[in-house]
Amino acid sequence: MPVKIITDSVSDIPPAIADELGIAIVPLLVRFGEETYLDGVDITTDEFYEKLRKSSTLPSTSVPPLEIFVRTYNRLAQETDEILVITLSSKLSGLYNAAIQSIALMERKCRIEVIDSRCAVMAQGFVVIKAARAARDGASLEEIREMVFKDLPRVEIRAAFDTLEYLRRGGRIGRAQALLGSMLKVNPIVTLKDGIVEPAGRARSRSKAIDQFYNFVAGYTNIEEVAVEGAACPNDVDLLVRRLGAIFPEERIYRSRTTPVIGTHTGPGLILVAVLGDK
Amino acid sequence: MVQMNTISGQDLRNMFSAATSWLEKCSSEIDALNVFPVPDGDTGTNMMLTMRATMEEAFQVPDGSATAVANAMAKGALMGARGSSGVILSQVWYGIAEEVKGKELLTTADFADALDRAAQMAYKGITNPVEGTMLTVMREAAAAAKSSVKRGVKDIISVLSTTVEAAKNAVANTPRLLKVLREAGVVDAGGQGTYTILEGALRYLRGEMELLRLRKPQIIISELPFTPQTSPIATVDEVPYGYCTGFILKGENLDPEVIKKRLKHKGKSLIVVGDESAVRIHIHTLDPGIILHEATKFGTMHQVNIRNIDEQRRDFLELQKEKAPVTDAAIVAVALGDGLREVFTSLGAAVVINGDQTMNPSTKDILQAVESTPAEKVIILPNNKNITLTAEQVKSLTQKQVKIVPSKTIPQGIAALLSFDYEADFETNIQIMENAIVAVRTIEITRAIRSTSFNGLKIKRKQPVGLLDGDLVAVDDTEAGVIDKLLTRLDMLKTEVVTIYYGEVVEQAAAEQIRDSIITKYPNVQVELVQGGQPHYSYIISVE
Repeated sequence: MPVKIITDSVSDIPPAIADELGIAIVPLLVRFGEETYLDGVDITTDEFYEKLRKSSTLPSTSVPPLEIFVRTYNRLAQETDEILVITLSSKLSGLYNAAIQSIALMERKCRIEVIDSRCAVMAQGFVVIKAARAARDGASLEEIREMVFKDLPRVEIRAAFDTLEYLRRGGRIGRAQALLGSMLKVNPIVTLKDGIVEPAGRARSRSKAIDQFYNFVAGYTNIEEVAVEGAACPNDVDLLVRRLGAIFPEERIYRSRTTPVIGTHTGPGLILVAVLGDK
Repeated sequence: MVQMNTISGQDLRNMFSAATSWLEKCSSEIDALNVFPVPDGDTGTNMMLTMRATMEEAFQVPDGSATAVANAMAKGALMGARGSSGVILSQVWYGIAEEVKGKELLTTADFADALDRAAQMAYKGITNPVEGTMLTVMREAAAAAKSSVKRGVKDIISVLSTTVEAAKNAVANTPRLLKVLREAGVVDAGGQGTYTILEGALRYLRGEMELLRLRKPQIIISELPFTPQTSPIATVDEVPYGYCTGFILKGENLDPEVIKKRLKHKGKSLIVVGDESAVRIHIHTLDPGIILHEATKFGTMHQVNIRNIDEQRRDFLELQKEKAPVTDAAIVAVALGDGLREVFTSLGAAVVINGDQTMNPSTKDILQAVESTPAEKVIILPNNKNITLTAEQVKSLTQKQVKIVPSKTIPQGIAALLSFDYEADFETNIQIMENAIVAVRTIEITRAIRSTSFNGLKIKRKQPVGLLDGDLVAVDDTEAGVIDKLLTRLDMLKTEVVTIYYGEVVEQAAAEQIRDSIITKYPNVQVELVQGGQPHYSYIISVE
């Protein structure tokens, strides 16, 4: 029986790919005041930004109840004996712990391994997609795990913001707080390192940020996958994809929209590039 | 101002739900304060989650009486309590519910009594109450409420104002009472959380919705000077921490006092709260097995949660370390004028030395700045041709690795600083910064000191003149005229950002006029105006 792969909604895997590869996606929760939504399930990205503009309360996010994990485990345990869970960074969310805690609560026992990706968005998504392809092709849990550990150090992101205010307010700013408080209007650029947000630089304008992204990707000697994601800025995404087309086949570049949970911590101006490859 | 003499159940619900959101905004800051009883950095989160559970239950009751809402809150808090602070908080709600029993509306006196009862209950739940914690804050807050009522104040809002003020003072005073706080240079996290909740409730009653939405709670600064220990804060307690054990015990005729006695000597930080049907227990113990074994004799266990505190503490220390700034390479810049200095500092320059065209800093000044940074690698931005040479001297005078990125103007220096890549190594950054210098054009406006003829320009004394990248190329009767002439020499179609730093003698209104005229003439360019405060040039303009 093939290994089943589970990840969370922050991985930003396009739904068509998740369906095709049978990746189970556990949603995080987004909350506006008293209303709670399942990330990407009960609330679409468009609805979310619409609400973000109109709502008097600011959204917050949380780990899904263990029940959701337990149900997913129980369901998959009917089809397989081995499950691999790849979660977003445990430094950014308690979801990794929730995945582990839920193992004890499932009814029908099967082998479950949980890996902390120490990243998020499509950087995490790439690793999950590769794992799911290997699982489909009959790889064992050990083989997949080994591959995942080899790939995790090979993913990296650069993300540009209009403001770091959302990230600061959500308590996830990490060392990127070095970028706060600029007297000039700048676009802060951050990355994820060892699971936490780290500063990468600043750009004086959006297009300069896109230049920096291009240079970042161009610095790779071998590129396996590239993704460009935006929160609510499709034009910037198009622009960057076209520019990256000069160094990587444009049709192979994943375009994705970050989910409401990410949007809660970044605001609508986020644009990011994720790469799987070797420098 | 509106007077408020009674509180309904609905009011209670609304004010503490606002307080919960208010608390949520600073829960991570409160986490960072957390050093007692265990420095595990979760007090803010625990209090916030407990308040959430409290309020969720409060919204379940259809009935709007104070009694029904307070009871629901007490129940929600008991079931949802997390960590020591959460359990104490649940005790507070339990006390309030007990006091308001049978009341539809609360008078001001009822409210003060409820707070008082809450404080008493909070103390009762703990086997060895420690002063300088949220217990103290709760007690002093309640005492202030009571005495305010005694003085004849009828308005709940003003009673609560007095209460919040007392809570604030009590929080500021916690380091005097508790040594670990003093040594860590922080106030008590639980106390801060308690104050923030009360403050949030007050702001709601005052109708400060905008403020609740847009602002953040203030974290109270330790009144005492920071007296760091030689050893790190984590060694506040020599005893191993063991396991943080918490669960709910359900049964019939449970007596919290009896249970408390039974568990008292089996661990530290024991908290037992609840009523005869459900009791929440929280203890730090070396042997959770014994605790669980004892507990089964009283009833059934639910929501058992055992965590290794030493692990939590390690995570906390790791968290603290992660918050430290990155100082692999430090940047030292030279600038004159408060605004310009602030721009450099806000963009990450470690030190800004005073100096410009007419006032060059000495080698010693620069050397001192280089030595004062904690980094072993230092990049100097001289921002002036004349200062570059002085900066070069420093290289041979220090053990540190020093590189000079030869910025000749303030805009070049700022562009270089902005391009700094935190992920790149030292040499790469020098390269990136040098490239950034070339990509920016600098306009400087000053006045001619005497009449002269230069570059084919006829210049009268005191007439505004303009420099483009250091060369005198334009003159006009007005500063705006010079700026306009210079901009037309540049490729404004490819320009994205124009930043105007106006000098100390320039009126803000005049600077704004110049900004507006640039926006009108070049609508696609982003124009930013900053008070540079520089003495020599009336305007320094960066064109990128």
